[in-house]
Amino acid sequence: MKALFTILVFATVFPTFSQTRITGKVTDAAGEPIPGANVLIKDSYDGTSSGMDGTFSFMSEEKGLQTLLITFVGFKHFEQMVELSGKDITIAASLKEEINQLDGVVISAGSFTAGEEKRRTILKPVDIAMTAGATADIAGALNTLPGTQKVGESGRLFVRGGDGSEARTFIDGMVVLDAYGPAAPNTPSRGRFLPFMFKGTSFSTGGYSAEYGQALSSALVLTSKDKAEMNQTDIGILSVGADVAHTQVWDRASVSGKVQYTNIQPYFGLINQRVDWIKAPESFESSAAYRQQVGKSGMFKFFGNLNQSSFSLFNHDILNPATKQKFDLTNRYRYGNASYQQPVGNWTLRGGASYSYNQNDIRIDEKPMGETETGVHTKLVGEHSVSDQLEIRVGSELIHRQYEAVGYNEVLGNSEALRFTELVSATFAEGEYYFSNKVVAKAGGRFEYVNLNQSATVSPRLSLAYKPGKQGQFSFAYGSFTQSAQNQYLRMNTQLNPETAQHYILNYQVITNSKTFRIEAYQKAYRNLVKFDAANTQLISNSGTGFARGIELFWRDSETIKNVDYWLSYSFLDTKRSYLDFPFAATPTFASAHNFSAVYKHFLSKIKSQVGLTYSFSSGRPYYNPNRSASEFHEDRTPAYHDLSANIAYLPKNNLIVYFSCTNVLGRDNVFGYQYSSTTNSQGQFESRAVRQAANRFLFLGIFITLSKNKSVNQLPNL
Amino acid sequence: MKTLTFFFALFISVATVASDKYTEQMTKHIHAVYTANTTEEYQAAINALDRIALAEKTKWEPYYYSAFGNLMLATRENDKGKKDAFLDLALASIEKGKIILATESELIALEGFVHMIRVTVDPAARGQQYSGLAFQSFGKALSLNSNNPRAQALMAQMQFGTAQFFGSSTTEACGLALKALELFNTQNPGNPLAPVWGKEMTVELLKKCK
Repeated sequence: MKALFTILVFATVFPTFSQTRITGKVTDAAGEPIPGANVLIKDSYDGTSSGMDGTFSFMSEEKGLQTLLITFVGFKHFEQMVELSGKDITIAASLKEEINQLDGVVISAGSFTAGEEKRRTILKPVDIAMTAGATADIAGALNTLPGTQKVGESGRLFVRGGDGSEARTFIDGMVVLDAYGPAAPNTPSRGRFLPFMFKGTSFSTGGYSAEYGQALSSALVLTSKDKAEMNQTDIGILSVGADVAHTQVWDRASVSGKVQYTNIQPYFGLINQRVDWIKAPESFESSAAYRQQVGKSGMFKFFGNLNQSSFSLFNHDILNPATKQKFDLTNRYRYGNASYQQPVGNWTLRGGASYSYNQNDIRIDEKPMGETETGVHTKLVGEHSVSDQLEIRVGSELIHRQYEAVGYNEVLGNSEALRFTELVSATFAEGEYYFSNKVVAKAGGRFEYVNLNQSATVSPRLSLAYKPGKQGQFSFAYGSFTQSAQNQYLRMNTQLNPETAQHYILNYQVITNSKTFRIEAYQKAYRNLVKFDAANTQLISNSGTGFARGIELFWRDSETIKNVDYWLSYSFLDTKRSYLDFPFAATPTFASAHNFSAVYKHFLSKIKSQVGLTYSFSSGRPYYNPNRSASEFHEDRTPAYHDLSANIAYLPKNNLIVYFSCTNVLGRDNVFGYQYSSTTNSQGQFESRAVRQAANRFLFLGIFITLSKNKSVNQLPNL
Repeated sequence: MKTLTFFFALFISVATVASDKYTEQMTKHIHAVYTANTTEEYQAAINALDRIALAEKTKWEPYYYSAFGNLMLATRENDKGKKDAFLDLALASIEKGKIILATESELIALEGFVHMIRVTVDPAARGQQYSGLAFQSFGKALSLNSNNPRAQALMAQMQFGTAQFFGSSTTEACGLALKALELFNTQNPGNPLAPVWGKEMTVELLKKCK
């Protein structure tokens, strides 16, 4: 009995006789040791961590066929079956690197992204809202980046020798027609969508994905925010109006609504304007957003926007300023965007529809004219990870546009209409392959068919990136891009083919946690540009050509000076086009050879304020001087453009922000170009008038209050 | 008979030791996480906890302490990218723990702590989003268990920081910290695996309150 007892006790309490010793070494593919890897027998407590030299040794009580598992961050799991029988086992584990790591190679040629806080991106969402001089306008902030040309009288994005219509805006993948609000002649327009709506902004100055079409120069891809997290009411009292917004949150859904009224009249009463206003711009706007989580990872998003704005002014004749012409404009705008994303098996499907309606009612000396554009865009995209190295994306879309322009016939004394309906059908496919964490290639193509002129185009796209070391990387991008001719030409001749541009981009960038350096060179070739005879505008064709090339530099540093974040951008542009009524290839009026921006942000915690300064410079722009001979077309240059803008956001309480901004603090009288009289004066000369800022400075004051249960919330990211 | 009883008693106690290998191992590695000084020591303890987490399919504690270890590594790290990587690991463990027990106040409080440290990486860009998330987590942790001293202490910490920035009164934050300290002093968790950290932090905060 006693003997049996002893054996039993030993058998239960000291079962060591059956332990197996497992030793080995963990290395990466190059044979370098991996310290700190977790080595274990699956479904047991047995295991250890690898040492500094990658070696490990442990005992296991398990028996029989078991799985040895080795894990380490950034590497794929290593699994091996082992027979535990008490005999020593030696393992040599070579771990494979996981692909698509946060610090791995990414395709960066041509694009600036602001999003995903954890990725090392060039911009952060808050940067777009808080850049001095931009007054919370997305295009205004992006205009401080390389690749853009400052065109002060327009406010739009002009990218690498492309005009304002060549940059297209997309929200959640869906196109936005008429993304800018109406503006009086020679005053900058603002984007219709405020930066705070978006969690991600990707601004591409060329070489973008095959998913985006109908954009010759640039794609601005905005990703709206997901479901809101808390109930809150925001009130804004502005020097030019007021707004109220409310957000209501449920477990799986959120709704927000906003109404805004702006009227610049009181402001214009205080600050002298160069525009002879009858009625200053006034606008009513309402918008709503709805988010609904569906199932485990489905997300439905809806966004709608209604806007009506109007103004009225006198245009004065250049030769005889006493002669004036009354100009009234009422703009009605509606935009709706619904999108849905859902994983289906191994695929992620996303689809959506957008609707844009834009109507300009214009009266010139009470004679009615105007234009209306209605667009519907539908799209379906499927994304699939074939492996962790290969991702494919295929999709299809339809863009339907109806356009009508009403003009006034002076001879007949009635209104005449020109209209067209265009349907663009497109299919695209793209594959992204990671050779390793150092090399990635993306190749794809886009097929587009336009019913209006039966044109079919195939646009190949290719991007490569190579990251030789820890920080710096090289990228290359090539792409062919098409865009339908602008409405004012297409309405005259619906057989005009799409205009095309080929982009070649070479880029080198280094991004660390707090510093970015980037240099990019590009070459662009334009073909099929709209061209017509200055004497007979009916002779309109696709015979125009052009080129643009340049070098751009970007530097950002948020570390060296405490509490200071700044960036510097420089762009050199050399471009010529033979298009529209140009007699020969010449630099267009919107293109300036040198553009420079410096953006400075300083957080002063003592006075609870963030102060921002932005300096912008553009070298002189060409203008047309009819007093010169035809061979001197666009030979003249305007004076250079200088602007120093400032803003300050002051947080006296945690739910209250006082925001003040001033553009052109130094009050420089910038000239954007010259307009000439249509007839000569008594000396046989055409008289000119400078196109200048409506006022030297624009001052803005806003007080923003947030009411919510959470005391730390304010509207800072909304500004 | 006597021998048989003794034999049975021994057998039962041996069996208990065997099934409570979990408590025994956890106690050892929790102690290791609390007392680790070097990255290697932390890593070894985290790895051990991860091994237990993998083997035990119904326990949230291994995930909790693994996350706590990574959070501690994040607070010691100066490189912003690495700091984020540790926080990502911590959050991943918390998510796994929440799958096992979604209503565990301690897990939610720790999640809030991760958001809080996230802010420190880039306060200007992240303050708004992540401090909001942190407040939300602490609020939720307290609604699940109003007597969780860590949730109270962390909430007090956040409130104190906010009040200090805006120059407003810290009375509420300090009141909460005092309440948290009382709970730290009176609570005696019967469970040897229950979290016990956070008292020192609260004492430090209360020093600033005076």
